[in-house]
Amino acid sequence: MTTVHLIGVGMTRFGKHPDRDAADLGAEALLEAIADSGIDPRAIEGAYCGHVFQGMVTGQRILAQVGMAGLPLSNVENACSSGATAIREASLAIRAGEHDVVAAIGTEHLTTRFTGALTPDPSDPEAAVGATMPAVYAMRARRYMEEFGMTREQLALVAVKNRRHAAANPLAHFRKEITVEEVLESRPIADPLNVFDCSPVTDGAAAAILVSDRMLKRLGNGRAVRLAASSLFTGSVDTEPTSMTFEPLTRKTAEAAYERAGIGPEDVGFAEVHDCFTIAEVLRVEGLGLFGQGEYPAAVERGEADIGGRLPINPSGGLLGKGHPLGGTGVAQVVELVRQLRGEAGERQIEGARVGLAHCRGGKAVGIEGAACTVQVLVR
Amino acid sequence: MTVTDQTSAPISFRPREFEVLADGTGRLLGSRCRGCGAPFFPVRAACSGCLGTDLETIRFSTTGTLYTFSVVRQSTPAFPVPYVLGYVDLPEGIRIMSQISGCEPDDVKIGMDLELAVEEFGTSPEGAPLLGYRFRPMAGRGDR
Repeated sequence: MTTVHLIGVGMTRFGKHPDRDAADLGAEALLEAIADSGIDPRAIEGAYCGHVFQGMVTGQRILAQVGMAGLPLSNVENACSSGATAIREASLAIRAGEHDVVAAIGTEHLTTRFTGALTPDPSDPEAAVGATMPAVYAMRARRYMEEFGMTREQLALVAVKNRRHAAANPLAHFRKEITVEEVLESRPIADPLNVFDCSPVTDGAAAAILVSDRMLKRLGNGRAVRLAASSLFTGSVDTEPTSMTFEPLTRKTAEAAYERAGIGPEDVGFAEVHDCFTIAEVLRVEGLGLFGQGEYPAAVERGEADIGGRLPINPSGGLLGKGHPLGGTGVAQVVELVRQLRGEAGERQIEGARVGLAHCRGGKAVGIEGAACTVQVLVR
Repeated sequence: MTVTDQTSAPISFRPREFEVLADGTGRLLGSRCRGCGAPFFPVRAACSGCLGTDLETIRFSTTGTLYTFSVVRQSTPAFPVPYVLGYVDLPEGIRIMSQISGCEPDDVKIGMDLELAVEEFGTSPEGAPLLGYRFRPMAGRGDR
């Protein structure tokens, strides 16, 4: 079976784009990815497009915009893992031998689709009693503070770090550093989380071009990065209450990816993880096995997760700093990994980066730990 | 067309998950697997433990303890803020998300004993009050 390689990536500036839409943003990202890959666009055989709230056939609108309609394309919805799922589907189409060149796109024009707090689907029993995503993570934060003695200031430092990373990313939603005090004094959303503990409502898109071994050989692209693993799992149905301060779903998805890639967590040089909230980054990196349980808050305080630290987490600025256009997020994480591994990350370049990991986790459904979790491992 | 005379039976806001009894009390509904005994909320079509499809619908206990909570200060228009949202562990081994009422947010504590209360949860399209559930500090143990 062939391995899969990323030969080109592109993404729009993340932020508020009142004069644009999801297809227009997706087209910009796709054209940049094609140009970056150097491939003739006629060689692209299929496409997958991840988005959440953009309605019917957004992927087709993107292809039409760039003159590429006529390809097999599937739109992919997996909540905040939609873009990552598009990458995985593209890689499966190549591994299956169906295609040699596939485009994966993730896009979202979120500012026109909702305001305020994201909620589960209205059909869900938890939505019916007032669940919001910030509240769910706030409850997990409170429990984590109770169990592991994490301080409110330690939690705020996650946002401070990611905003600092974002300040070095010209495509990030937020370009200004913030302080712990500013996090603690920002508007309360769901105690103990304030607005600076939450990822913003962001518009943006990202795209990547994936190819097979034989196509890579034909192209001779020296900047290619290998997609060593792309795993996806849905949460299990709980038969008893489980801890909300650990993520078995993240662990399971990571272990599948480590096995496929032939690595362990100790081999990961840096990671983009799904920090939709400050507490989420804590839960993710511990679930991935990158830090021990209960140990991440102190590690952040010591600077271990900084660019230049022992194991940089979210060098792009993450969802908290770069922004979180739901469907765009998973592809944008892969864009960051590719740019870091190629040594093209500019001011925020991680020295000697060889193995990067991207993690997404999206959606809420009653009775399961998480809805859709993805882990991608990229190797240079 | 006139609206037919409604019975005075109370209307649950989510009849598949919450039953309001004639005496005005309420019960959360779920499933128990007849094969392996695993409980589920809400009602399921099959058991995740043994994948058996022989499930019975059960009514859960109306008391529990608070696993964690948050004071929600931003929500959708359907839910005026602030309100307290929590996860309540029931004796059957089920964790239920519920609003917590009947006490000040500052008095809510992890581990506190709670009991289910039937409270209004919006209105039906015809304007009839709908009944849902919130958990409150257990009578005699909270500040009520």
